[in-house]
Amino acid sequence: MTGKSPFGRALGRREALALGGAAAAVAAIPAARADTKLTVWTGYPEIQPVYQAVAADFAKTHPSVSFDFFSTTLREFEQKLTAAVPTGTGPDVYDIGTNISVNFIDNSLLDPNPPNIDAYMKSGPYDKFTVDFFTTDGKTYGLPFLEGSRASMYWNKTYFKEAGIAAPPATFPELIEAAKKLVKFDSQGRMIRSGISLRLSGQGSGIGEKFRYILEAAGGSAIEKTPSGKWHNGYDNQAGRDALTFYVDAVQTWHIDDPKVPHDADAFATGATAMLFRESWVIGEIQSKNPNLDYGVVPIPAWKAGMPHKMMLQPEGVYVSGQSNNKALAWEFAKFLTNQQNGLRLTEVTGWLSPRQDIDWKPLLVKTPQFETFVKPPPDIVYYVEPVLPPWDEIESRLADRLTAAYVDPSLKGNPQAIAAAIHSMAQQTDQILKDAGLYGTA
Amino acid sequence: MSVSILDRPLPQRLPQGEGRRRITRHARLWLWCYAMLLPVMVIYAYVRIWPIARSFVLSFYNWRLIARVRPFVGLANYEHMLGDQNFHIAIWNTTVYSLGVVLISTVISLPLAVLLARRSRMSAVYQTIYFLPVITPLVPMSIAWKWIYDYNYGILNYLLSFVGIHPIAWLTDVHIALWALVIMGVWKVLGYNMVLFLVGIRNIPSTYLEAASLDGASELRKFWHVTLPLLRPILLYVLVTATINAYNVFTQVYVMTLGSQVAPGQVTRVLVYDIYQNAFEYFRMGYASAEAVTLTLIVLGFTLIQFRAFRERETA
Repeated sequence: MTGKSPFGRALGRREALALGGAAAAVAAIPAARADTKLTVWTGYPEIQPVYQAVAADFAKTHPSVSFDFFSTTLREFEQKLTAAVPTGTGPDVYDIGTNISVNFIDNSLLDPNPPNIDAYMKSGPYDKFTVDFFTTDGKTYGLPFLEGSRASMYWNKTYFKEAGIAAPPATFPELIEAAKKLVKFDSQGRMIRSGISLRLSGQGSGIGEKFRYILEAAGGSAIEKTPSGKWHNGYDNQAGRDALTFYVDAVQTWHIDDPKVPHDADAFATGATAMLFRESWVIGEIQSKNPNLDYGVVPIPAWKAGMPHKMMLQPEGVYVSGQSNNKALAWEFAKFLTNQQNGLRLTEVTGWLSPRQDIDWKPLLVKTPQFETFVKPPPDIVYYVEPVLPPWDEIESRLADRLTAAYVDPSLKGNPQAIAAAIHSMAQQTDQILKDAGLYGTA
Repeated sequence: MSVSILDRPLPQRLPQGEGRRRITRHARLWLWCYAMLLPVMVIYAYVRIWPIARSFVLSFYNWRLIARVRPFVGLANYEHMLGDQNFHIAIWNTTVYSLGVVLISTVISLPLAVLLARRSRMSAVYQTIYFLPVITPLVPMSIAWKWIYDYNYGILNYLLSFVGIHPIAWLTDVHIALWALVIMGVWKVLGYNMVLFLVGIRNIPSTYLEAASLDGASELRKFWHVTLPLLRPILLYVLVTATINAYNVFTQVYVMTLGSQVAPGQVTRVLVYDIYQNAFEYFRMGYASAEAVTLTLIVLGFTLIQFRAFRERETA
């Protein structure tokens, strides 16, 4: 078959076929230039929409990049990531706490930040404390992504008004008195509203973490670092005994909390408790479950008048896997994810705070003034941080296992010697874990 | 009755070479059988035997999952186990759970099977109803039971309120939580045990029961002296498999004790959960392997005891 060509002579069959093949090859070129896919994992399912929105914005300037997201609850995510990363089946980008990243760094599964990221990190978006937190042996790892704590006290204004309490407690003695007035029982004596929702049971290290809010306020700490860089328990002392006594009395003496009543953020959002110590993400929870709740947020009370208010810091980072095949692109995405605009978006959408120091929080505070304590803590607050140690999770989890038994142990009620013995036993366990890891020392 | 070629005796005197040819044919047949079984055996060895052997070996090392080094520590993991309070609690809870589930489910399922063995129009329906929990996936079932047991909103407390019983803290009371899990465990396996017993009962020759009836035996005596002894092999199988499954309890305990609304004080900590926590939360793979080996030995021990107990009864 022949046809007229644009050059004025007939096309032979071979020529027609060759032209057709060339046209097909040209048409196929954009398809053959495959999209780069970045896999992103997170242990915060509520943050996945933020990731997706950020990825959509990122794709405007990187049209050949596509994303694959995965999220699950934090504990399951930590286990999945820990199993996947050493085998090279992990994601390109993930967010994780230092309790896990320190193990990856220790075993060369995470590379130090490239020079441009390192320089960017130190150029002003983050305060010195945050930069140091992400520095190991003089090298930075990961980019700070969210502030995992700054736990503060949520208080239900409606219940306080009903109970005739004018202001939220500033000290623990005031908190106990307020909780006694705020707790509610039904006609059969069953607690239907706790005065304060303490973390009395559950799985994982969260129980140990919440215990530390009280322990630190009382003047103790879970572990202490020695001048030589070793560690030992920091609560086999009066502060530790006071903290445990507070919990035992809360459940068994004052009856301001009970394992049977609903707990935690759900309980506060639905009005099943009058006070709660928790992080900023609860604001997002309240906005979705009970936006009409009248509540405030203040720093966790001081142990006594004259003692400081304390606040836990627990920055979490976003990291590029050492085994990623798209490191440069992944770092670009990580930097974009943690910029000012997306940092503010993270807080607005989920309640989790961005650790950047250069975000203008004013618009957010106009909409949700409850964020004030989290983004602008009082200047006299004393901060304490999550220790960055490989066995830290085990220390906190095993402490939690012993604490939950102690809280409801009737032999500890009004028994200072038994409390002291319980604390001593827990402290021995903590020291043993440090010894097993070669980190124990007292000098 | 035809005789297999492999069983045919070789003739005393064979023509020259015939004997050798017969032996070669025998050998070829055996070789063929093993060759056909080989792929399955290889897969089984790779999926089952090799991981068990590896776990046993790993129990003598200190390996933290993502660590590059794995130092040999001998029996240190086992020594650590002797002083590990969590392990002791887990062993105790698992044993209580297993004894509870095995004994209660056996005691209930056996009479149930006897009742259902009497053929009636509804017996197939009842069998299906009792077997449904067996085939229900564990995770959604555990979530459902968590809500059934809820102190404030659970249907169980709601139903109990009609008979004047105050709400029970099924999953948060330190004295009740483990038994709440036992109840759920019994509900799960009851149908399976019942079906096994039913099969055994229906295979008992009716002549024995008829003879006992002619001798004037009551239903109870027939059950005790005829049915039960003849069910011994099935009973042994049920006890052994139920013990193994109960000792491996994990999913329902994990799902039902997730979150902050659970029993305090580790009253529901079980051995497999302890292994899981040590392996995947604390990254102590060597220690977790030592616990897994110990669990295997415990279950093996129970199994041997049960076999021995039943064998002694048979020979007595």
